[in-house]
Amino acid sequence: MRSAGIVLALIVFVFAAAAPIFWLLLSSVLQQQALITVPPDLSPQSFTLGNYTAVFESAAQLWRAIANSLVVSILTTALAILLGAPAAYALARLQVPRADTILLMVLAAQMFPAIVIAIPLFITASKLGLIDTKLNLILVYLSFNLPIVIWVLRGFFTGLPAGLERAARMDGATVAQTFRMIILPISLPPLFAAAIFAFIEAWNEFFFALIMTRQTAQTVPLAISAFAGQYQTVFGQMMAAAAISVAPIIILTILLRNTILRGFADGMLKG
Amino acid sequence: MALGAATEFAAGGGHRRAREGLVALYFLGPALAMLALLLAYPVLYSIWLSLTDAKLSAGRLETPFIGLENYATLFTDKAVRGALFNTLYFTVVEVAAVVLLGLLTALLLNHPMARWSGFRVLLLLPWAIAPVANAVLWKWIYHSNYGILNTLLLQLGLIDTNKTWLGDPFGALNMVLLVDIWKSTPFIAILLLAALQNIPKSLYRAARIDGASTWDAFRYITLPSLKTALAIAVILQTIWSLRTFDLIFVLTKGGPADGTVVMNFLAYRVTFNFLKFGYGAALANLIFMTSLVLSIFYVRLMKPGVRP
Repeated sequence: MRSAGIVLALIVFVFAAAAPIFWLLLSSVLQQQALITVPPDLSPQSFTLGNYTAVFESAAQLWRAIANSLVVSILTTALAILLGAPAAYALARLQVPRADTILLMVLAAQMFPAIVIAIPLFITASKLGLIDTKLNLILVYLSFNLPIVIWVLRGFFTGLPAGLERAARMDGATVAQTFRMIILPISLPPLFAAAIFAFIEAWNEFFFALIMTRQTAQTVPLAISAFAGQYQTVFGQMMAAAAISVAPIIILTILLRNTILRGFADGMLKG
Repeated sequence: MALGAATEFAAGGGHRRAREGLVALYFLGPALAMLALLLAYPVLYSIWLSLTDAKLSAGRLETPFIGLENYATLFTDKAVRGALFNTLYFTVVEVAAVVLLGLLTALLLNHPMARWSGFRVLLLLPWAIAPVANAVLWKWIYHSNYGILNTLLLQLGLIDTNKTWLGDPFGALNMVLLVDIWKSTPFIAILLLAALQNIPKSLYRAARIDGASTWDAFRYITLPSLKTALAIAVILQTIWSLRTFDLIFVLTKGGPADGTVVMNFLAYRVTFNFLKFGYGAALANLIFMTSLVLSIFYVRLMKPGVRP
């Protein structure tokens, strides 16, 4: 009786979580005629890959947007790790005056509503001629990615055994050498987890991209939004465009599920 | 040998500490400078902007100082009143629904029969997909003629004719809410699931030996142990609800009749559509202050620096 209840709840859960995404993928491979039949015509001849080819042919800006998104997401992630990893290490393991205050500020920085920094940053970027450049997005995205990276990595560094540095120092290694040759090599999994978070956040970001780009530096979310506005009655193509934008993230998420599950739940709960 | 090294280490301690402080500066400096540039400077700039009547005209930004006038206007602006009501309604309903559904999902997935990792992956998917792609998807689901929601409800006999889901102001707000609840619940569920797994199993064994029912165990062990995690979930979700933008931009653009204009969207519209930068900054600062107060509570709950 009780296990029947659990099974029923699981069915409801699976349906609620998966049905919309399943419908996204299913409509992306159905012909327009099948989609505007009520109920949708799911016979074998309705299936097609034409929506995908049509999206890539009709939307030249989508190709450019994918290239832009890749460049922006990868570079902002790399910068966040490069700046964030040493900072996280210092906060976790070195004598830093007011480390607690700095940490609280990093934590609060993750909560900043984008709108409050977007207005001044837009004005500054306009004055510097950075509007509609990838460099601008790469820097602006550090405003949320750097705090995330510092937070996730600090949690990991704090948990390392206390004797590590002492042993290295007895062998005459400097702090920088210890960090580079002892700490970094054993930190690859959390570095990877932090990078994945940063990449997903940058890939999905819409608000700053909407304000700070026009044509040249347009990213995928903007291209999808523009496409959906332009072709809002061509449902199959609209879903194909959406599927293209979520595919890399879905694949990453499934491949790295354990890293993500462990990384973010722990990071948000423990100080 | 080992003893010799140890005394040497102890003797060099003071000097070493000073050098370590310098190294820490090198390690921390670049990141802190970047954060100051990207967060501290804009916040200060935004406060100053809100005290001016900054307007963009003919590509030039003029910033005449007007003191607190923008903040005074907030109180009389009808658009602000509407947006405040929408934001309050949106946030309260979303936080309540997400935390409740998140808790139920976490309890379900913590059950021995639901340990299969596939369920957890399923939980990650709505969280991971881009808000914009999600919004485009739901626009199609809600479509008044061919949307799958109408089709399903018609087939089940729950409605007689197709509904225009985003047609009236309050209805549209609720449909936007529904999508955001769907997208936000997984993260809170994962958070609470992690907290559930930290409760020692021995507590439940002891309770069972004492003859406690499942409900008793939930009421007297599970809920009290989850108190901090639930408080964190409420605060985080409130902050995130206040940030909702992408979904509204794609699904309704604030309409119909401003029914889905929340504070965040209003600040965007005032600034970047009406080009009133000063007033927009005042609105943004109001949202910022609310989030800041909430994040102070969050930080208190997290107690960083204290190891678990």
